[in-house]
Amino acid sequence: MAREKVTTLYLGPQHPGITGNMMVRLKVKGDTIVGARTEVGYLHRGFEKLQERRNWLQAFTILCRFCVPEPDPVEEAYALAVELLEGREVPERAKYIRVLVLEMARIASYLLWYGGQSGSAGLYTMGQWSVGDRNYILDLFEDLTGGRVYHMFIWPGGVRRDLPKGFKDKAMKVMDYLEKRLDDYDTLLFENSIFQKRAKGVGIIDKNKAIEWGVVGPPLRGCGIKSDIRIDDPYEIYGELYEKGVFEVHPYEGGDVWARALVRRFEIRQSIKIIRYVLDNIPSGDFYNKIPNPHKWTLPKGDAYSRVEATRGEIGFFVASDGSNKPRRTHMRGAAYVHAITLLENILIGENVADVSFIMNSLGTCPPEIER
Amino acid sequence: MEEKKAQILEKLQKVFPEISETKNDFPYNRVDLRIEKNKIPAILFYLKDEMGYKHLVHITCVDWLEEGKFEVIFIVWSPVDKIKVFVKTFLDRNNPVMDNVDMIWRQANTYERELREMFGIQFEGLVAPKEFILEDWDDMPPMRRDFDTEAYARKRFFARPGREDARDVRQTIAERTGEEIPDFAKKYSR
Repeated sequence: MAREKVTTLYLGPQHPGITGNMMVRLKVKGDTIVGARTEVGYLHRGFEKLQERRNWLQAFTILCRFCVPEPDPVEEAYALAVELLEGREVPERAKYIRVLVLEMARIASYLLWYGGQSGSAGLYTMGQWSVGDRNYILDLFEDLTGGRVYHMFIWPGGVRRDLPKGFKDKAMKVMDYLEKRLDDYDTLLFENSIFQKRAKGVGIIDKNKAIEWGVVGPPLRGCGIKSDIRIDDPYEIYGELYEKGVFEVHPYEGGDVWARALVRRFEIRQSIKIIRYVLDNIPSGDFYNKIPNPHKWTLPKGDAYSRVEATRGEIGFFVASDGSNKPRRTHMRGAAYVHAITLLENILIGENVADVSFIMNSLGTCPPEIER
Repeated sequence: MEEKKAQILEKLQKVFPEISETKNDFPYNRVDLRIEKNKIPAILFYLKDEMGYKHLVHITCVDWLEEGKFEVIFIVWSPVDKIKVFVKTFLDRNNPVMDNVDMIWRQANTYERELREMFGIQFEGLVAPKEFILEDWDDMPPMRRDFDTEAYARKRFFARPGREDARDVRQTIAERTGEEIPDFAKKYSR
């Protein structure tokens, strides 16, 4: 063993195992990682600077680009922050439609995660199934918002459009189909011994340190800590839904990739429940509390910070206003900002080189939200 | 919740009489306080270790150019109290130096690297590679309000040869082929 020397290995920025344009510089001894350093800077587009030159509403064309697989929570976070700053009320129906959109986005993003997680373990069939099924959700999005991937649907004061005719039946049908498919996914992925052997005991996060290390979302719930912004710091109607028992938050012990996978497996079913409840119980009324002419729309001086639970964890938006019609400063907090840098660099040590992209996928790394 | 917010402020003000400004009249779970910059590590340590504000939500900075100040904001969250505390401080824009806090939360290191690069704030004792997002940057830190993006773009980038006049490509094609530009497209031509 003494003869083994430490080699530097560059994983990314162009590598099929990397979830976007970033690089992990690994120091390896044989197959074992002894040091890791995340290098970013391949994707910086200066979104926050661009927003400072646009009015409060024009930011929405930029917002959805913060994280491509799941743009809606970012829009929601920004809209919430603007509403907190202005004190604008949102109609009840708009809150229901927002929750519907957010949960559809959660399902779409988890289905994409199924593909990434299993693909990085060499199980490619799973990804073909789940990404294929994700198309049904994208079809629903197309019906509702007009866009498949980027929606720009949630905005301050409510949502852009009402539910189209026949949407409920269509969505219910897709939910029924998906629920059946999830059992197939279990057979294909969670009962697969290759996946179990790869996932158990890999990429362990210390439960006692998890909160102060900034772990959020499914990785935190995978450490056995019951924490979810939807119930801790509720927004829209989530607090109400949780009290009524429409959905549950279930932590899994272990802190490894397997526990994080189980959390996601559980939550995709909860999202289906929420969507069914929302479609059945949506109140009638306005879907939009109209904002004034966006070019003349000024917000009071001050700042606000909103938090939203996305599939990767906590997404937050800080906005500061100087009383003009443009933001003085906007700053997004993405879950990957912590997960993919300080957390990843630490939990990779001692792991096998082959598991790097497997662990990255389980943390839900999304480089666009690191650099913005 | 209102009671709890008042209790938090009272407790903090007892330990840190330097707190200059507080605000807790938000209709949601948020408390604001302002303190001088050299007390920041102490108050964050206290919030984390004594009061259970274990989760560092965010570190951000706002450039108040007209007043010549940077406002650095630390947002912390307690999973028990379920309240966000905003710890704010002003830095002199001409000499933005403050203490590093990554020994309290190690992820603060990433935020500080970004603020150092984007605003030019120096965190004393910050150990991190010099570059984070930008590469070979030798201009003013770009997120400062007085950074002129247009002048920078003109200095740094150049037009493709033959495109210096930024002419509409449809015009060129029309001349080359002898075809008319349709009326509906003229509207969008420069």
